[in-house]
Amino acid sequence: MNAKKWLAAFAGTVVLLGLLVLAGNVLIDPFGVFGDVIFHWDSYSQTLNPRVGKIEYLDRHYEEYDSYIIGCSSTSSFPVDKLNEYLDARFYNLFTYGADMMDSENLVRYILEHYRVKNILLNAYIDNGINYDDPGQDSLTEAMHARVDGSSLAAFYLKYLFLDPNFAADKVKDWFSDELLAEPYDVFDVETGCYDKRERDAEPIGALAGYEALPAYSGFADYPTYRVELPNTARAMESLARIRDMCQEAGVNLMVVCGPVFAGYMEGVDREQAAEFYRSLASVTPFWDFSISSVSTEPRYFYDLTHFRNCVGYMAEARMFGDGSIYIPEDFGVYVTEENVESLVERNDAVFAAEPDDSAWTCEVPVLVYHDIAAGGEEGATASLLEDQLRALRDAGYTSVTFEDLKDYVSKGIALPEKSVVITFDDGYRSNYEYAYPLLEKYGMKATIFVIGVSVGHKEFYKDTRNPITPHFDEAEMAEMSDSGVISIQSHTYDMHQWAPYEGEGPVREAVKRLDGESEEAFVEALWEDFDRSRREIEAVTGKTVDVLAYPSGEYSMLSQWALTQRGVHVTLSTRHGVNTLVKGLPQCLSAMYRIYADSYPDGAALVAALDAGAAGE
Amino acid sequence: MAITSFSFLTLVLAAAVLYRLLPQSARWWALLAASLVFYAAGGAAAMAYLAVTAVSTYAAALLLQRENDRRRAMEEDKRRETRKRYDRRRRLVVGAAGLMNFGMLFAIKYWDAAVQGLSGLPTLGLVVPVGISFYIFQSIGYVIDVSRGKIKAERNFPRYLLFVCFFPQMVQGPIDRFGHLAPQLYAGRAPGAEEVRDGIQLMMWGFFKKLVIASRAGIVVDAVYGDAGAYPGCASVFAVLMYTIQLYCDFSGGIDIVRGVAGIFGIDMAENFRRPIFSLSLAEFWRRWHMTLGAWMRDYVFYPLSLSRACAALGRFSRKRLGGMFGRILPTSLATFIVYFIIGIWHGANLTFLAFGLYNGIIITASILLAPLYGKVKTALRIREESAWYRAFCMARTCFAVFIGRYLTRAPWLKMSLVMLKRSVFDLHLRQLPATVLGLGMSGGDCAVVAAGCAVLLAVEFLQERGVKIRKTLAERSPFVQWLAMIIPLAVILLFGIIGNGGGAGEFIYGRI
Repeated sequence: MNAKKWLAAFAGTVVLLGLLVLAGNVLIDPFGVFGDVIFHWDSYSQTLNPRVGKIEYLDRHYEEYDSYIIGCSSTSSFPVDKLNEYLDARFYNLFTYGADMMDSENLVRYILEHYRVKNILLNAYIDNGINYDDPGQDSLTEAMHARVDGSSLAAFYLKYLFLDPNFAADKVKDWFSDELLAEPYDVFDVETGCYDKRERDAEPIGALAGYEALPAYSGFADYPTYRVELPNTARAMESLARIRDMCQEAGVNLMVVCGPVFAGYMEGVDREQAAEFYRSLASVTPFWDFSISSVSTEPRYFYDLTHFRNCVGYMAEARMFGDGSIYIPEDFGVYVTEENVESLVERNDAVFAAEPDDSAWTCEVPVLVYHDIAAGGEEGATASLLEDQLRALRDAGYTSVTFEDLKDYVSKGIALPEKSVVITFDDGYRSNYEYAYPLLEKYGMKATIFVIGVSVGHKEFYKDTRNPITPHFDEAEMAEMSDSGVISIQSHTYDMHQWAPYEGEGPVREAVKRLDGESEEAFVEALWEDFDRSRREIEAVTGKTVDVLAYPSGEYSMLSQWALTQRGVHVTLSTRHGVNTLVKGLPQCLSAMYRIYADSYPDGAALVAALDAGAAGE
Repeated sequence: MAITSFSFLTLVLAAAVLYRLLPQSARWWALLAASLVFYAAGGAAAMAYLAVTAVSTYAAALLLQRENDRRRAMEEDKRRETRKRYDRRRRLVVGAAGLMNFGMLFAIKYWDAAVQGLSGLPTLGLVVPVGISFYIFQSIGYVIDVSRGKIKAERNFPRYLLFVCFFPQMVQGPIDRFGHLAPQLYAGRAPGAEEVRDGIQLMMWGFFKKLVIASRAGIVVDAVYGDAGAYPGCASVFAVLMYTIQLYCDFSGGIDIVRGVAGIFGIDMAENFRRPIFSLSLAEFWRRWHMTLGAWMRDYVFYPLSLSRACAALGRFSRKRLGGMFGRILPTSLATFIVYFIIGIWHGANLTFLAFGLYNGIIITASILLAPLYGKVKTALRIREESAWYRAFCMARTCFAVFIGRYLTRAPWLKMSLVMLKRSVFDLHLRQLPATVLGLGMSGGDCAVVAAGCAVLLAVEFLQERGVKIRKTLAERSPFVQWLAMIIPLAVILLFGIIGNGGGAGEFIYGRI
């Protein structure tokens, strides 16, 4: 091959490789603009660019929806399920990250022109005053879909045709590493359009100090003081006026809300500019204001500095539609018109002036745990120690409450007795029936026993082996205790608390966690199967609902947390040592709760002293 | 515009096409246009600095040329008579041009660091534009050459501007000489197909070194140097090793791309690396590493220094008073030290580079001083200097010395270098290496690619060192084999250099010097 031929071959080879890259961009289609024919992975392309991915998705699925939520990323936390109930509608959350009012206007115009629309919920978040028509948007990941903003379609497709091949390579790689829960590359719940917060909404949250110590929330502990300027309020409001007019013309119900803002963030906003924001917003349209209230002062109601939690979104929706069945803080949510906007501005100043005080919506509850109770002897959990501790608790003014009471506090805001304590027993030993049950009755206390389903009634041997075990109570005893109203029987799994030395060959489930090499999907299936059986068998005996689970060995994960919430289990217990801080309206405070090994205290006085002192830290 | 970017390749292609289309006498305009486009992409400030250098050195050279011409026209006696005045003027012009350009370089690079902590002096916050020191060195070399009468000053400013800012070399050299480069730039010769092919092949080799090896090796370097105290000694050793590989592959790969691009225009640029890993001594290593800078320092700093009257006086003094070997080499050693000192300062106004200069200077001087002793030992042990084993030993020794020296150059502070060295010896914890490396973002696959890439690199350089003409050998094989030798490297660059490299096109680690 002489040099000229070599050059020709080289040019041909380069062109060939180039065509292969382009073909990869089209077929692998990271941004989902070419139909994503191989992967059908909407969540992925929406994560790369929601302004493109969500429109591509809706163009295929718009018939499944009749109502839309629009706004910046914090808008994600307006959950669609309750809205659907309140308005008998089918909502899609069409929020996009970093959306300014121009993005919202473009989207509203597009959906009005192309889809059937009954309701639009628009979040006029305070950040809409910062940017309008931001020129700094990345042309690949932040640019609007060309069909929406009317820019050149040819340029749009060329841009994604001549894409850096790394996008396609990453998508293939991510496809193979993708599992059940959200990953940084697929953060959307495709059907609702909301962020996939399965994991974030399942994580345990308790005392503020512990919350701020978590890496994800450390920003709350040391909030940076910086200034937020709102130079674009006027342009944003002109845009909002056009949205209002479009909706009016189309006969669409437009609901404007001003989403909750974390107080630390709001403090950086110029007070006068913020007031101007509210005034001009009210001059365009009446709106529901949630921006500043006691909720704003509570970091645990926020995922991060600018995003409120889904549970806060539920509160806001309940306020708007007069749903009194869940807890809503008194001062949360005001319907603002031009008439009362000045009082809103004054009220916000008052919130900032007040000292932060979370006592109105938090309380501390210790949960005690016992296991087997020995009849006699000097050491450990004996019947006499239990009696001494129960007596001491009663004398010290403690009231034993149930998990139902805790749930009512969290979801409905129903107050708990001042000194509340929860008593639990793990595993379902016969001694619980023999000694604990009469003692609890005697001292007028209630308790919860978490039974291992497979062990119920096993008085001699471990499962179907000849290995001896501590006796467990049987179904009749279980029914008797449950019927008395003293004892609630709940789940300690059916058979996920195996004792390795007594199990045969093969993998052993010692706790609710993934086996080596087990996929997330397979694990969740196994957990569901196990829990369903546990619940079915207990409910068959007691006739009462099973919706609390104590994790064997206290081991849990975000995956197990999420999987259990899918089965209606919103209260779980770990063996982490400490007292629980409950927060009204925040279901995560009932996740993987702390417990105190009561029998590690030598007598009742020591236990009471520890509880009175706030129990030994975490 | 990184030279591994798509836009750079587009620029090269466009310039090459334009170059071919233009008549021969106008072809250099295509090069100038491409160069200006390239530099304009760096911003207005970068253009302004370039203008200062181009105009000042252009004018200085014209002044010097006028002096030289006038002098050449003189009678012999008159010439002798006016010699002092002439020398003074010449030095004045060269000095002024040097002061202006190196002053600007200093202001851009070091002013802020120098005035830090001093009250009253404002910081400038200037951004170092790409390749500024390379074109300043090259232009000052030109001025000195004119003053020495080695070359004639270029009167046509656009032509001169092209010499200053010829685009392939803007990022990281090589620092070429006017006498070598300029005639090729202006000739407008259309390159033959062989030259274009060779240029493309050289570019591919450079892309391989830079994108496949260097950018992977670099993954752990930043992490470890960012917080060296947090990792066991084995991480330091590994990071320095990776840094050594990264530096060589990035720099020499970049030079390969530059020389390859120049080759496409039929221009042969100065060689900058001659397989330094096969050096037998540290001194030889530095003669084969960044050769154009070494040559520049030799011609414009070292020779003038060692031939100066002050140096001669020092030589007489030291021979008389100190005597022996040491007395003889003191002046030269001093000049060597000064050269390394300047090179060190040029790399960064930082104690680490000073230490680096001292480290190399001491080893090289010591090996000269100890040469007689070595000779005796070798005779006693019956070591033949030509034997393969002895040569391998020398290469390993040199590599080790270079490796240790690298501890000094990458760390932000000298103390960190020393801490890392100390940990490498006393807190090695070799068992933690795999976990540490993986924890820093370098996957097992990345390690394998770096290792395989280095093996290929070593094999090729070994063959070249043995005098095998690889490309010639290849050109004699069947078309299919030749095509394989084309598509496999292209595919490797695409799959391991561009894809799976986090966006690929890494920043030059040698660019902003």
